[in-house]
Amino acid sequence: MEIFGDMGELAAEKHVEYILSVEKKKDSFESVVMEHLRMNGAYWGLTTLDLLGKLHAVDVDQIVSWIIKCQHDSGGFGGNIGHDPHVLYTLSAVQVLALFDKLDVLDIEKVSTYVAGLQNEDGSFSGDMWGEIDTRFSYIAICCLSLLHRLDKINVENAVSYIVSCKNLDGGFGCMPGGESHAGQIFCCVGALAITGALHHIDKDLLGWWLCERQVKSGGLNGRPEKLPDVCYSWWVLSSLIMIDRVHWINKEKLVKYILDCQDLDNGGISDRPDDAVDVYHTYFGVAGLSLLEYTGLKAIDPAYALPVDVVNRIFIGRQSKKES
Amino acid sequence: MNEHESYSEEKAAYLLNHLELILESDPLIDEVGFIHPSQFVTLNEEIGQSVPSADDISTTLWSKDHKLGISTHALLPLFKAAKREFVDAVTRYKELSDQCGENGVGNSPCTVSSSHSSVESEVMKHSRVLLLLSCDFGTAWHSRKKIVLKMHSFSVFMDELHLSALVLSYSPKCEHAWSHRRWVIKSIAGKCSTLQEIVGKDSELVEKIAERSKMNYRAWNHRNWLVSHMSTDQVLHELTKSRNWAGLYVADNSCFHYRRRLMLRILEDSRHRQENGSTGHNVEIHQLLKEELEWNEMLIKRFIGREALWLHRRFLSLVLIKHFLSDQIGTSMDNDFGIFLDNELRLLSSCSTIPDSEFEDYQAQALHSTTYMLWLVKQVPEFDGIGVQEKLRTDKMKVLLNDACPDRSFLWDYLISEHCLKEN
Ligand SMILES: [Zn+2]
Repeated sequence: MEIFGDMGELAAEKHVEYILSVEKKKDSFESVVMEHLRMNGAYWGLTTLDLLGKLHAVDVDQIVSWIIKCQHDSGGFGGNIGHDPHVLYTLSAVQVLALFDKLDVLDIEKVSTYVAGLQNEDGSFSGDMWGEIDTRFSYIAICCLSLLHRLDKINVENAVSYIVSCKNLDGGFGCMPGGESHAGQIFCCVGALAITGALHHIDKDLLGWWLCERQVKSGGLNGRPEKLPDVCYSWWVLSSLIMIDRVHWINKEKLVKYILDCQDLDNGGISDRPDDAVDVYHTYFGVAGLSLLEYTGLKAIDPAYALPVDVVNRIFIGRQSKKES
Repeated sequence: MNEHESYSEEKAAYLLNHLELILESDPLIDEVGFIHPSQFVTLNEEIGQSVPSADDISTTLWSKDHKLGISTHALLPLFKAAKREFVDAVTRYKELSDQCGENGVGNSPCTVSSSHSSVESEVMKHSRVLLLLSCDFGTAWHSRKKIVLKMHSFSVFMDELHLSALVLSYSPKCEHAWSHRRWVIKSIAGKCSTLQEIVGKDSELVEKIAERSKMNYRAWNHRNWLVSHMSTDQVLHELTKSRNWAGLYVADNSCFHYRRRLMLRILEDSRHRQENGSTGHNVEIHQLLKEELEWNEMLIKRFIGREALWLHRRFLSLVLIKHFLSDQIGTSMDNDFGIFLDNELRLLSSCSTIPDSEFEDYQAQALHSTTYMLWLVKQVPEFDGIGVQEKLRTDKMKVLLNDACPDRSFLWDYLISEHCLKEN
């Protein structure tokens, strides 16, 4: 691509090496206190590898059997073996299995019963049996059930109206009714509405305006007014703008440059801001952001399901053709 | 060097035991910090140990005046030891619960209740330390909830609020700690007479934490959540109280959002009251909005180019128009709406001239004031009928916008086009 000519390039090989190395550095305080969300880490790392075309570098059977060990009798998944189940980790488990085309190892009825059981009467979703409610959990439940072809197990109409009740006068969405607009929550609400075919509830001009005001002078995006830019918002803001068809309201070239500036060119990985320490989370969101920006050499990612487009197609189109044959 | 290699399993268990003793002997500890070993020398001098003894405890744990310090070098071995004890206690607890047949029907009364309660206290003891070392360890928070629910004791619920605050003292963004508070409040709501007081104290806690952890979304989200448990009087009190804070930290959008939340709640309450036949409070909220707009204008002129202030103004003007002025639009300009519009146009013209282009804040002020007016025009379709657009120099606006923020040129083109605003 011509426009990227004078920019640094994506250090794809380095990032692959970095992701493969993360699992090996296990014995520091910083990594042991993250062990409870290893399932999310697996999703971030493995999706990045897939976008970079290197998913074959890992041992599928080993990962799949570990995932199965994280499942509870309730059907939900914990973030690691021995940790309590939560919808956050359940979606990551389903997404990772989807990457490997291994959804058939799941008892889909059981998993979807767990997720659907978290819906409350007003349409909202709790994250687990302890009842914390958040629009993030609405997205997660809807995305998860859709990937499992089990959206019929919940009251979609109520789920949508709860999300709509979290809309603010600025066009954005928060965690709950009356919560402050936040790009991460906006992604969740827009994604859930996109999956359920309910995007007409969004004032696209108004929300698009709020979202494009997130781009700061350096080209990076922030998640709320007056905050510093951060690579992870390349994903939350950008995917939302794409879903509501307003991505041309930001400067994409400057955003590409910002993400590339956040790479660690020596050891691989991407950080939140230039020269900060890298982590898997920001590496994933950086690469996923570049994928949304159609950066050369990366697989395309679906803005609503947060999975490579070919994986999503396999789930929603591939199944049909299998049936037909 | 790998510092933690110097900690054997026994030594770690010994330290863990001592840490748990400190926590038990001083239930009033309200702050935890992780300290580099070099700082221990200074801290120990403070408590009178001028020559620090070389024993493990005095170089690892420190406590005074209800503050607790833990050496950063001991974190990993302490975490491992605490997790080992926690997992062990939880496993035993689960076995005993299964024996007691908690979920079964028609079982004989539990005969192991004394060992049951001792394992319960073990789970509580070890989960507490674990959470002080690793606040995102969800399973440890959950194990506490399970036990607390069975105890049916108000003071135990209050202890949970205390532990959560202690965790927030070192990790103010910890989601689990905030969510634990909501769980406690939901659990005791309707069952205790002091709920309003607890909610008020929680609101104060958020303010205290927001003071040193700026733009903390999780903290402010908790405060927004508390509003649904507040009485109308409390809401009004919070609105008065948070004004000073917002004026001090004008870049913190979260506090302004909190005020918006409070104002919407007041509007909602007054709508309920209206449905029941009284009207007095409607005048009150109208006045409140006008005062907030005046205060906001004062801040806008004092703190040049602050995005959060202009976003707040978008909200205030929109709510004022929609709830109080919409029936006046188009009648004459000699009413509240006319006065409002005149004022906004004057504010726009004073803020959109850039006296010193070298100074970035003035350019930001011009950008924010212009987008504020465009936003309002787009949000209030009635403006179209009364010639507001003719009063705006859209040609000048477009130059200014493209100058201040060329990255959004497609948005500016779209807004100032035949579809939205007529170009002149
Ligand atoms: Zn980030």
